[in-house]
Amino acid sequence: MTVEAHTESLALARRGRPRFGDLALRVLSGGAVLLVVAAIGLLVEEVVSNAWPSMSKFGPGFLTSTVWNAVTDQFGARYLIEGTLVTSLFALAIAVPTAIAIGLFLSELAPRRLRAPIGLMVELLAAIPSVVLGLWGIIVLGPLLATDVEPWLHRNLGFIPLFSGYPSASGLLSACLVLTIMIVPIVASISRDLFESVPGELKQGALALGATRWEMVRGVAIPQVSAGLVAAVMLGFARAVGEAIAVAQVIGSANRAPSSLFGQGGAMAAWIATQFAGTATSLQRSSLYFLAVILLVISLATNLGAQLIVRRIGRRMGTRA
Amino acid sequence: MTRMKRAAAAAVAAGALAVAAGCGSSGSTTTVTAPGSSSSDSKVLVGAGSTLVAPLLAQWEADYLKSPAAVTITYGAVGSGGGIDAITAKSVDFGASDAPLSPDQATACKSCVQIPWALAATVATYNVKGVPNNLKLTGPVVADIFLGKVTAWNDPAITALNPGVSLPSTHITPIYRSDGSGDSYVFSSYLSAVSPTWKSQVGASTQPTFPTGTGEEHNSGVAAAVQATDGSIGYVGISYIAADSLNEAVLKNAAGQYPQPTTGAIAAAASAVTTIAPDGSISLVNPPASAAKAYPMSTYTYAIVPTASSKASTLKAFLTYAISSTGQAFGLPLGFPPLPAAVVTHDTAEIAKIGS
Amino acid sequence: MESLATLAALAAVAVLGMVIYSVARRGAPALSLDLFTKLPGVDPFGRPTGGIENSIVGTVVITGVATAIAVPVGVLVAIYNAEFASPRVADAVRLLLNLLAGVPTIVLGVFMFGLLVIGRGQNAFAGSCGLAMVIVPVIARSTEEVLALVPSSLREGSMALGASRSRTMLTVVLPTAVGGIVTGTIIAVARAAGETAPLLFTTALFASAVSFDPRQALGSLPLVIFFDSEQPSQFAQQQAWAAALVLMVVVLVGAIAGRLLSLRTRRQIEKAR
Repeated sequence: MTVEAHTESLALARRGRPRFGDLALRVLSGGAVLLVVAAIGLLVEEVVSNAWPSMSKFGPGFLTSTVWNAVTDQFGARYLIEGTLVTSLFALAIAVPTAIAIGLFLSELAPRRLRAPIGLMVELLAAIPSVVLGLWGIIVLGPLLATDVEPWLHRNLGFIPLFSGYPSASGLLSACLVLTIMIVPIVASISRDLFESVPGELKQGALALGATRWEMVRGVAIPQVSAGLVAAVMLGFARAVGEAIAVAQVIGSANRAPSSLFGQGGAMAAWIATQFAGTATSLQRSSLYFLAVILLVISLATNLGAQLIVRRIGRRMGTRA
Repeated sequence: MTRMKRAAAAAVAAGALAVAAGCGSSGSTTTVTAPGSSSSDSKVLVGAGSTLVAPLLAQWEADYLKSPAAVTITYGAVGSGGGIDAITAKSVDFGASDAPLSPDQATACKSCVQIPWALAATVATYNVKGVPNNLKLTGPVVADIFLGKVTAWNDPAITALNPGVSLPSTHITPIYRSDGSGDSYVFSSYLSAVSPTWKSQVGASTQPTFPTGTGEEHNSGVAAAVQATDGSIGYVGISYIAADSLNEAVLKNAAGQYPQPTTGAIAAAASAVTTIAPDGSISLVNPPASAAKAYPMSTYTYAIVPTASSKASTLKAFLTYAISSTGQAFGLPLGFPPLPAAVVTHDTAEIAKIGS
Repeated sequence: MESLATLAALAAVAVLGMVIYSVARRGAPALSLDLFTKLPGVDPFGRPTGGIENSIVGTVVITGVATAIAVPVGVLVAIYNAEFASPRVADAVRLLLNLLAGVPTIVLGVFMFGLLVIGRGQNAFAGSCGLAMVIVPVIARSTEEVLALVPSSLREGSMALGASRSRTMLTVVLPTAVGGIVTGTIIAVARAAGETAPLLFTTALFASAVSFDPRQALGSLPLVIFFDSEQPSQFAQQQAWAAALVLMVVVLVGAIAGRLLSLRTRRQIEKAR
C-alpha cells in the first residue's frame, strides 16, 4: 500500500472528523475545470448561434460562393478561404524547412555555448506581439517589397503567374512573409525539442557506423521524429490560419481571387478583424460569425490532430523505453 | 471515499450550472438596456461612426467638456457603417454616419432620428510623382479608373482633361475604403449618378464591392496609403486633405465647372438642394447645373439618435450645442461650412422628438 | 547541409534583430515624458497630438484584471489535475486546455463581444475575460509542470504526519512551487499585454481620459499601435513606434525574466530533492 493510500485509510478510520479542507479544495479546483469547460462550451454556442442566420441562409454554398456584397446581402467565403490557404501554405513552405534547420542547428550543430542564447532569441521571436509585427510589416517591409523585392521577382520570375501582378506594398506576399516570421519560432522550438529527444545511442550508433552528421540526421534523426514534425507543422498551420491582426494590417483587404502574390486579397481571420466593427447589415455580421465558425473548426481539427499524433508518439516512446 | 467524491461532484456541478446559467442569460439577445448603464452617469455620452466628422467631434469633445454642461464625449471613429450598427445594437448613445439609414436599417434601429449636424464633402485625392495639385477629372473618368478600365496616369482620358500637365505612365492604384464608410457611400453615389456603367456594375453603398485596388480602413488608412503609394488615387473626407497635406482632384460639376472643394463650393451645393426627404436625409451629390459653383461630392453628415433614450436630456443639449453657431464654428478650419438656417430649424424640431 | 542549417538559424536571429532594431530606432526618438503623461488630443485641423497616458493605464488595468481572473483558475485547474484527477481525466483536461490555447484570438474577440458587449456597451472587463481565456492554458500548463517537479517525498512526508491533502497542498506543495507559478504568470502577463484581437471589439471605443474602471472601455497599447499604424500623420506613426517600443520592452523583459526564473526555480527544486 502506498503511503498516500495508507494515510487515507487512517483518515477514514477517524470517523466524525470531516476533511473539510480536502472537500473544499476538490470543489474549488474541480469548479475551475468545469469553468474552463463551460467557457469553451459557451464559446462554441455563442459563435454558432450568432452564425446561424447566415449558416441557415447560405448553407454549404457559403464555402463556394465568391460574392461578398453588403448591398445585395449576399455573402460567400470562397476567395477568403483561398486567400487564407495561399498565405498560410506559402508561409509554411518557407517556414518549415527554415524552422527544422534551426531546430537541428540548436540541437546538433551549434557550439554548446551558443545554444542557449540563440535558442532564447528564437523564442523571443515568438514573443513579438503580432500587432508590432504588423506595424513593421506596413512601414518597413511593405516599401521594401514594393520598391525592391517584388520588381526583382517580377523581372526575373514574372512568367510564373504568382509573380505576375503589379508590385505593391500591401498584399498577399506581405502577409505570407509576416506569417512566416510567426510560424518559424513555433516549429523551430518543437523540432529542437524533438531532435534532442532522439536517443543518444541511435545517433552515436549511426555515427559509429561511419555516417556523416548529415547522413545521421537524414537517416536516423528525422525519421525518428517525423511524426512529431508533422504535429509541429500542423500547429504552425493552425497559427497561420488564425492570425488576424498582423495579416489585416498588410494584406490589402480585397475579396479577390489570390492569383498573384503581389495582389491584394483577403484571409478569413483578417476579414473579421477589418469588417466586424462596421458591418452594414445583421446578415453581414452573422456571416462574419460564420467565418469564425470555420476558423474554429479548422483550429480545433488541426490541434486535435496534432495532439493525437503527440499522444501516439508518447505511447510508442513509453513502450519502447 | 466514494461518498465524499459524490458530494464534491454534486457541489461542483451545481456551482458550474449556476455560473453557466448566469452567463447564458445575457447571451445573444439584443437587450435595449442603456449603454454604460453601470455608470448611469449622464455626464458621459458614447458615440461611434463616421471618420469624416471625427475631427469635428474631437473639437466638440474638448470644447464641450469645458462648457458648463461638462459632459465627456467618447467617440469611436469606426466608420459610418459601424456607427449605424452600433446605434442599432444600442451599444452607444449616438451614431454618426455620412450615409443616411436605409429603410431596413431604419426599421432595425427602432424609431431613430437622423439629424444632419455638419456639412462637408468627400474629395478625390491622388499621389503621382511630378503631378501638381488640383488635377482635373470627371466623374465618368474616375468611375473608369475605379472600375479598372483606365490603368495608367497618362491615359488619353486624363491627359485630355489636363492639357498643360505632363502625366507619367505610372500605373494607377485605386485605394478604397474596406470598412462600412459614409465616404464610400458619397463616392459611389456620385459615381452612380454620373456613370451608368458604375451604377450597373457596382452601385451605391457604404461597402461597395470595388473590382480593383487596395482596401484600407477608415479615412486615415486611405490617406496613409495614398501618401505612401506613388500613382495612387483615393477618396477622403475633406478635412484630411489639409491635415495630411494631400493633393485634391477637382471634379467637373453638372455646370461644366471645376470648383475646388472650398467651403463656398460646398455651401453652394447645399443651397441648391433644399428638399429634406421624409426620413430626414438630404442628398447633395451631383447637384443640378443651375448651381454653377457647387462642388459635386458634397454631403451632410448625420447624428443618428434613438427617440427614446435614458440620456435624452444630455443628448438634446449636446446636439443643440453641435448645430449652434459655436459648434459649427469649429468646422471652418476643417473645411466644413456652417449648416444652412433651414437645416438648423429642421434639426431643432427633430431634436425636440428625443424624449425618455 | 550544415551550413544551410546555420544560415537558417542566423536568418531567424537576423529577422528578430531587424524588427527589434526598427522598433528601437523609430520608437526611441518618439519616447518623451509627454507620451506617458499627456492624453490624446487634436489640433484645430484634425491632426492628432498629445500622448497615450490613458492607454498605458488602460493596458495595466486590462492586463491586471485578466491576470486576476486567469491565475486562480489556471492554478486550480493544475491542482485538480495533479491531485484529484485520474490519469484519463487529467489527459482529457490537458487536451481541452491545448484546444483552448489553439482557438484563434479573433474568435475569442467576437465571442466576448456577443457575450458581454451587446446591450451593455463596450467595457474593458469583456476584453480582460477574452485575455484570461488566452492565458489560462499557459498558467495551467506551467503550474502543472512545476507541481510535478515538487518531490513526492515532501508530499508523502506531510501526509504521513497527518496533514490533509489540502493542507499539504497549501502549506507544503504550493510554497515550493510558487516560483514556477510566478514564472508562468510573468510569461502569461507578457503574452496578454500584447494581444490585440480580444480587445478589438470589446474595448476599442475608449475615452481620452484616464480611467481605472473596467466597466468602461479603456485604451490599450496594442490598440494604440493597431489604430496608429494606419494613420497618415507622422506624429501618429511615431506614436505607434513608441507604443511598440514600450510594449516590446514589457513583452521581452517578461519573456526573458520568465525564462531565467524558470531555470532558477528548476535548480532550486532539484536541490530540494
